[in-house]
Amino acid sequence: MEKGRGNKKEEIDDMVGVKNNDATLSVYSLGRKPSAWETLSSEKYFKWVLLIPLILVLLIFMLYPLIYCIYNSFREGGLQGTIFVALKNYQVMLRDKSFWVPFRRTIEVTAICIICELLIGMGIAMLWNRDFKGQNLIRGLVLLPLLVAPLILSLVWNFLLEYNIGFINQLLNVMHIGRVKWWDSRIALYTICGITIWQWFPFSTSVLLAGLKSLPRDVFEAARVDGSSSWFTFRKLTLPMLSPLIVIITLLRTMWLIRLFDPLYGTTRGAVNTELLDWMVYRTAFVYFDVGYASTLAIMCLFITIILGALIFRQLIRALNAANK
Amino acid sequence: MKKFIVIIMAVALALTLAFVGCKTTTAETTTAETTAAATTEAAAGETKETAEAKTFGLADVPEISNKADLNLIVETGGVFDKIIPYIEKFTGKTGIKVNVERVASPVVYSKENVELVAGTGVYDLAYVETSWTNEWAQYLFDFRELAAQYDTVEAFDADISNHSPVILACGQAQGKQMVLPFYTYHMGMFIRQDVYDDPTEQAAFKEKYGYDLKAATNYKELRDQGEFFTRKKGAMLKGKVLEQDLYGLAMQAGAYQDNDEFSCYLWGKGADYVKVVKNADGSLKEYVIDQATKDAIKQTMEEYIALTKFASPGSLTANFDFVVTEQGEGRAIVQNTMFSNCFAWTAGIVKEKVADPDAKLGIYQTLGGKPYTGAWSFGVVKASKNPEGAYWLARYLASFECSEAVMKEGGQLSTRMDVLSDPEWKNAENMYPFGILVDYLLSNWTDQSYVDFIKNAWYFNSTAAGKVYEMQMSVLSKGISGELTVDAMVKELVSQTISLTSKFDKVPIREE
Repeated sequence: MEKGRGNKKEEIDDMVGVKNNDATLSVYSLGRKPSAWETLSSEKYFKWVLLIPLILVLLIFMLYPLIYCIYNSFREGGLQGTIFVALKNYQVMLRDKSFWVPFRRTIEVTAICIICELLIGMGIAMLWNRDFKGQNLIRGLVLLPLLVAPLILSLVWNFLLEYNIGFINQLLNVMHIGRVKWWDSRIALYTICGITIWQWFPFSTSVLLAGLKSLPRDVFEAARVDGSSSWFTFRKLTLPMLSPLIVIITLLRTMWLIRLFDPLYGTTRGAVNTELLDWMVYRTAFVYFDVGYASTLAIMCLFITIILGALIFRQLIRALNAANK
Repeated sequence: MKKFIVIIMAVALALTLAFVGCKTTTAETTTAETTAAATTEAAAGETKETAEAKTFGLADVPEISNKADLNLIVETGGVFDKIIPYIEKFTGKTGIKVNVERVASPVVYSKENVELVAGTGVYDLAYVETSWTNEWAQYLFDFRELAAQYDTVEAFDADISNHSPVILACGQAQGKQMVLPFYTYHMGMFIRQDVYDDPTEQAAFKEKYGYDLKAATNYKELRDQGEFFTRKKGAMLKGKVLEQDLYGLAMQAGAYQDNDEFSCYLWGKGADYVKVVKNADGSLKEYVIDQATKDAIKQTMEEYIALTKFASPGSLTANFDFVVTEQGEGRAIVQNTMFSNCFAWTAGIVKEKVADPDAKLGIYQTLGGKPYTGAWSFGVVKASKNPEGAYWLARYLASFECSEAVMKEGGQLSTRMDVLSDPEWKNAENMYPFGILVDYLLSNWTDQSYVDFIKNAWYFNSTAAGKVYEMQMSVLSKGISGELTVDAMVKELVSQTISLTSKFDKVPIREE
């Protein structure tokens, strides 16, 4: 009997997350069952109380739209109603030339932007990895492009790059370089890349500068004493130690660049060889209101992001393991 | 653990109830308001206005018992700054609050479309570009149906007949007046009249091309003039040295209004994107894209691309504002196809920016005399909680009083012939630019062959027109920029037109 009671007590104490020796907090010791509040605020369940709102928000605002999008990708039609067409949308997409061209462009833009942003970001971070007068002001100013709404920036760049009256061309003209057809169909995609890189290189710069600041000085001192060159030090010490950060930047920028949309909205609107995947999704969903096909394209975007994200994430784990060795 | 599950269940139940509760409340409100609207309609029916007012005004708006707020969405722009006081006057007279949501014009369609299709009743008045009329007709009331309920059809017709028959035709679906025009963007060709009138230029042109310099009426003339006036910095114009490069033409070839420009040339050939075939009773039988149509589209695209050689390279991503600036600042001589509501604007910039006191513009027919046309208009949404109030507001916004304000205060173009016929436009002060502008519009709108053409134009008959219109911007742009060859562009245009029409129109479409 006693044993039985003892077991029950342990069970309840365990349930409310109170250790047997914690006599002051043991509600059971007071001779009553714990209240709902006591149960919820116990160590065991309190974490769930905190997590439930987030889980609910994720379920309602992320999982539900995702499932609905997958559901719609198997259907055809617009806002008035859809019919089940099984895998037809996916078949159409795979045969659709107007899908593969933006797909190729998106990969191209992603690669160009990430490489350029990392190179510029690393270069500037290396330059700024020392104390100089006005360093805080300059580091703050370089973040400005990140603080402006991307859509506004694209509208501003459209004016800046205008052939006749744009500031950039007027400047080039004054310098006797001559005007550039920034929106010529042969180079417009690279102009879009330029705008994107201009806006986002401060992100790489900031992250890499923070990384550089946190590197241990003794290793570099030892390398200097051993007479290693700057290039050797950079290649064999700096770069490997920063590799987890480089992979994180690559991961985040890949996810964001696959969804690149704003620079197109204020400039070419997908014309002159600049239509990217996300613009195609927007056009299909909100211009043609072809909900089924747009959902298929959106799922494809997500799929590509997951694949690339998983590959890069693997690299991140490797980089972290290597850095910890 | 059990209690924890119970709590989760309780939270989930509470959330579900909260959602359902919200929905029920909305439904109840809607029902209550619909009942109220029905009561109002019945009351209004008893006090129908029978007097025929030739010129309808705010004083003619009867007492409206349904006081539910009216909501409408419009584009941003100066004209609405000037019309808001008139809307406030409407509120003062009727006691109905009007909420105006203003968004950039490229998002008007997508924002409204969702609400209309879902039948939310968020907007009581739909702001409609007339090429969307047929697509949205199922969500809008026929104005004559509302007139019969709240007004009289005779009074409605008496006032509305003052509007341009062309623009009214654009706002009809199967002969029913679905929208009432607010202001027009009917297109025209703007030329630098002072340059065309200059004896030096006239002599040089005649010597080079063998005929007189005058506003172009066909493709060859426009091409010649584009070539003739495209000059480098340092060359002469009107006997003066040019301080900047000059282009013969200014074109809005960007993926936004390129299809409006293209329509002018295509329609000018007497062709269309799709042929509309009607039954004897006037109902739609089928749409056909035959070889002649495809050939006309191909030829028009080839000619369009050839013309872009005489326009600024910036044209490839240009919208109307760029083109206006090109001519306004003296960098281009001709705006081949431009919205006529930009005429006074361009003239103002020319006066300010061109260092020549004689510099002025002229407005002429686009090639072939069938310019792209239409108007931003208002239609009463079927899901509206106050269709009676929305009807009277739409009528007021289309009235002489508001239409005159649109033109005199807002700087946009009225579609009312009585406003355009006001002798005030012809006095010495207004003759340039407004006098010649109203002459141009009136001459277009009294051309019966043009009215008939517009009634049969595919844009103004198909319920898929809104979506095809948006698609064309992108596909035509691919042809213009060289992303697609002309043949590939025609193929894609035809294929996408058929695909969208098959999805969004019940009338069959076929390719021959």
